[in-house]
Amino acid sequence: MLKQVRGMTGDEAVAYAVKLVNPDVLAAYPITPQTIIVERYSDFVNNGEVDTSFIPVESEHSAMSACVGASMTGARVFTATASAGLALMYEILYVASGMRCPIVLAVANRAFSAPINIHGECTDQLVCRDASWVSLFGESAQEAYDETIMSFKIGEHPDVQLPTMFGIEGFIVTHALERVETMSKTDVEEFLPAERDVKYKFSPDEVMTFGSLVLQDYYMEIKRQQEEAMQNAYKVTKEVMAEFTELTGRKMEIVEKYQLEDAEHAFISYGATAGNAKAVVNKLREKGEKVGALKIRLHRPFPIDDIYDALKGIKSATILDRSATYGSPGTIVQGDIATALYGKKDVPTLHGFINGLGGRVLTLPQIIEAYEKAKVYHEEGKTLTQEWIGYRS
Amino acid sequence: MLELPSISVKDLQEWSKLGEVLTSGHRLCSGCGAGIMARQVTLAAKALGDPIMIVNATGCLEVATTIYPYTAWNAPWLHNAFENAPATASGAIEAMKAMRRKQNKPDRNVNMIIFGGDGGTYDIGLQSLSGAIERGHDFLYVCYNNGAYMNCLSLDTHIMTEEGLKRVTDIKIGDQVYAFNQKSGELVLKECSGIFDNGIKKIYELNTLHHTIRTTINHPFLIVQRSRKNIENKLIWKTLGELNVGDEIVVLKSLAEGNSYTFETIKMSKLGDYKVNKLNEVALPKESNPELMEFLGLFIGDGWVRVHKTEIGFSIPKDTKERKRLIELTQKLFGITPSEVNPNDVYIYSVNLAKFIDSLDIGKGAKNKKIPSWIFTLPLEEKEGLIKGLLQSDGYTIGKSNRYVSASIELLKTMRLLLQTMNYRVGKIHKQQKKKGTFVVYRKLLEDSNYGYICFSRKKEPNVGKYLSQIKQRDFLADNPNFKTEKIVSINFIREEPTIDLRVEDEHNFIADGIVVHNTGIQRSGGTPQSAATTTSPPGKVIPGKIKWAKPLAEIMAAHEIPAFTASPAYIRDLMAKVQAGLKHDGSAFLLVDSPCNLGQRYAPEISIETTKIAVKSCFFPLYGTYLGEWILTGESARIAKNPDRKVPVEDYLKLQGRFRHLFKPEWKKKLIEIQETVDERWERLVNLASC
Ligand code: SF4
Ligand SMILES: [Mg+2]
Repeated sequence: MLKQVRGMTGDEAVAYAVKLVNPDVLAAYPITPQTIIVERYSDFVNNGEVDTSFIPVESEHSAMSACVGASMTGARVFTATASAGLALMYEILYVASGMRCPIVLAVANRAFSAPINIHGECTDQLVCRDASWVSLFGESAQEAYDETIMSFKIGEHPDVQLPTMFGIEGFIVTHALERVETMSKTDVEEFLPAERDVKYKFSPDEVMTFGSLVLQDYYMEIKRQQEEAMQNAYKVTKEVMAEFTELTGRKMEIVEKYQLEDAEHAFISYGATAGNAKAVVNKLREKGEKVGALKIRLHRPFPIDDIYDALKGIKSATILDRSATYGSPGTIVQGDIATALYGKKDVPTLHGFINGLGGRVLTLPQIIEAYEKAKVYHEEGKTLTQEWIGYRS
Repeated sequence: MLELPSISVKDLQEWSKLGEVLTSGHRLCSGCGAGIMARQVTLAAKALGDPIMIVNATGCLEVATTIYPYTAWNAPWLHNAFENAPATASGAIEAMKAMRRKQNKPDRNVNMIIFGGDGGTYDIGLQSLSGAIERGHDFLYVCYNNGAYMNCLSLDTHIMTEEGLKRVTDIKIGDQVYAFNQKSGELVLKECSGIFDNGIKKIYELNTLHHTIRTTINHPFLIVQRSRKNIENKLIWKTLGELNVGDEIVVLKSLAEGNSYTFETIKMSKLGDYKVNKLNEVALPKESNPELMEFLGLFIGDGWVRVHKTEIGFSIPKDTKERKRLIELTQKLFGITPSEVNPNDVYIYSVNLAKFIDSLDIGKGAKNKKIPSWIFTLPLEEKEGLIKGLLQSDGYTIGKSNRYVSASIELLKTMRLLLQTMNYRVGKIHKQQKKKGTFVVYRKLLEDSNYGYICFSRKKEPNVGKYLSQIKQRDFLADNPNFKTEKIVSINFIREEPTIDLRVEDEHNFIADGIVVHNTGIQRSGGTPQSAATTTSPPGKVIPGKIKWAKPLAEIMAAHEIPAFTASPAYIRDLMAKVQAGLKHDGSAFLLVDSPCNLGQRYAPEISIETTKIAVKSCFFPLYGTYLGEWILTGESARIAKNPDRKVPVEDYLKLQGRFRHLFKPEWKKKLIEIQETVDERWERLVNLASC
């Protein structure tokens, strides 16, 4: 593969990657900080660079609804949104997965109102965790680019047939100019089949009923099939990432381990925060601390075994979670990790830190402070803590 | 601009061979306008030749036609959610274009039809529709407006009415049915104002120790809600799905003391009777009495009647005290003596007595006997007479407990309900198969038969006054003369069956199979007409139903600069012409259809088309089309505009429907006039706009 490098923002990276995929339909409604994706893509549409039908709908609810209608015809479909837009789609997210539409959705993670705020925070995507969507997070513009392309392949896999969303943090990634290694149209054509492989579709030539009323006698079986598809998605995501690694030479895994081999303590994070965590690991290592970092890329299906393997033998884990939850026993992602590790041997004590809400910058000293606290809690024998950092009391 | 194709009867004949798109087997209510209109719309679309595709918003037309794993649609059909059918269709349309574009193929003409109800169009789906129209996708949106959000009992449910017990299928609008007054706890009579065929639904059987009812999962029951310390115990409504074994539900204990029944006079036949008896010697009773009821009890158990043979027979063997009693009663009641020539049977030869018994609605053969409804209205003493007679025929008594055996399950069901109103404790119906040759009571079976039996005994009245609070622990309504509570012992799924529901004025409940049940709900929408009653816009003392007029939806859509039409399934060719014009139009088009709904609008199912016809004739729902400022009146509305004498008063429309019934009370007379004035005003405006 011929390597080319360009400077792109996270949003642009997504738009260029979608251009290579050339989906049949893109239905979207503007919302900051996602807007650039759709703006760039409208240029491609209006310049005749792609075949995509762009449907400029009047709301995100209609965006997701149009995506479902399009996907049911067998088309390849993409959309993007953020925050309130994702919340407005919420009802139809369940229809999309229930109807087994492998739609790809880019989320420019942004804080929920009120108070209204347009900056980065991942609560919007995390609260969709039960909607039966494959869910990924990206740390950089490069990962946004890669995940855009991989998402189509994961969702459309015959054993999966589920929609996929991937998130990049508003402004922090969406608007930051970064170095991106790009691919060519032929690379993508090699990686992704030209068309979706669909058995049943809403088409003028097939008498079929889709979206019927299903009562107590069959509902649960249909929902169970979604769970099985989700379990398949775990395997498929691993395979797709391995294939993509081979194609691009960029190593990617569903969880990324950084200096964890000999570590006694660890950071756990996802998205852009993972970069901060790695920087802190470097600093602390200089001081002789035995510390590493774990980045979660795949949040649904949750990679239970990979996380256990990565954390086995670690004493304390500092979880940096850029999402809000109230009155809960831990941060959102901490809840998943705790469930995954519970009852297993040699697992770390978990200390969750809610941080960076509404785009608040999390400084390195704050991260170090959290790390020190987690170590103390561990010594005190506390197994599970949750607190907020980086705010004025 | 607005070119409507003209459709001839011959066209209809031709098109009818094209095959149904909405096929039989769907579960819409009988008489439902949605099914009729959908068939007309799809047929008109099919006649255009290009393939059709349907996107359906959530609503009756969707849920009642696609209950998994079945479908009634013989066309590509897609449902997404309640409020997003236009967006969904726009996605499908644009996706198909893009996929062809990639293959270098030209666009293919597909006639895309979107169906949405008034809730999905006027209210929650208006934005999605407006957005899709603004983007200009090529589809016809059909709003079937039934004026509300619409939403049962098994067909062999029995309802307690003023005229006695009736099968739910025999209830007519206007019948007085018994209901429970929740304030006073009294048994009251209320008018039944609506009957709805609810289609095939899942039926569950609820059992208490003494009562059984089959209903759908969402049917409401009255139950006791006990507070911690039993201080604030109260009665609340819960649906079957929310009920648990052990919950206490309200059931009927006894009916008010009834009156003797006056029989209709039988036209006495002169021929025939003198074969055995002297001419017309038989004396027929004018009114019911205890001994006559005892005779009928014997007849129900052991008797048969063959009118043409002038014979009434009883299979009661010789030398039994039952036969002695029968002869005694026959002589006393009718002044004639039965023939005892046969050792096994007794015969009464009388055409007129045979006719009389035949007129009593008891049923003729052993397998279809029942307790007719009029018996439920009798005084207790006469009902006891009937039980006495029944027990002498196919019953027996052991100690204080009685058992009654019958081949007619309907008889056992109705007898069980009768006994429940007489303060007996009755167990459930036990069914059994009996082999040929075995004896049932004292008769030998000639073939293998299905039999059932019930056991019953008289209840001891507890000393309510002294131990009221303790007794109320067991029976919350212990001090109520007509009602009591019983614990649920089981709830089981039975099968899918056709169902029916009733609407009862004021109390909104009735007594089905001896159990107090609630009727189901109909909620107002943006398409609900002014003053119509729904369960969320009830006709109160101050506000007579819904306050505002429905949105002028066709005009709202026309303001998007697309063709917009109104149509009624009563005027088929007019409707179909508009469907075809809308589909031929390049871009979005809109059709508002008046879709009568017997369930929500509350009228008898057979007058569906009649109501929508009068909606048009009264100009309540005019037929028109409009596009870019041009207006045309069509069909009957065009004829009315030319000849105003054809217009009928709006009252004619309103009075057909239960939802406007309250307007005919004297206190709302003013409202009626107001509605007529508004209809006139709107009609005039329309006539002025239209060039007809
Ligand atoms: S009659 Fe009314 S409630 Fe019944 S199916 Fe039709 S629209 Fe629905
Ligand atoms: Mg409706």
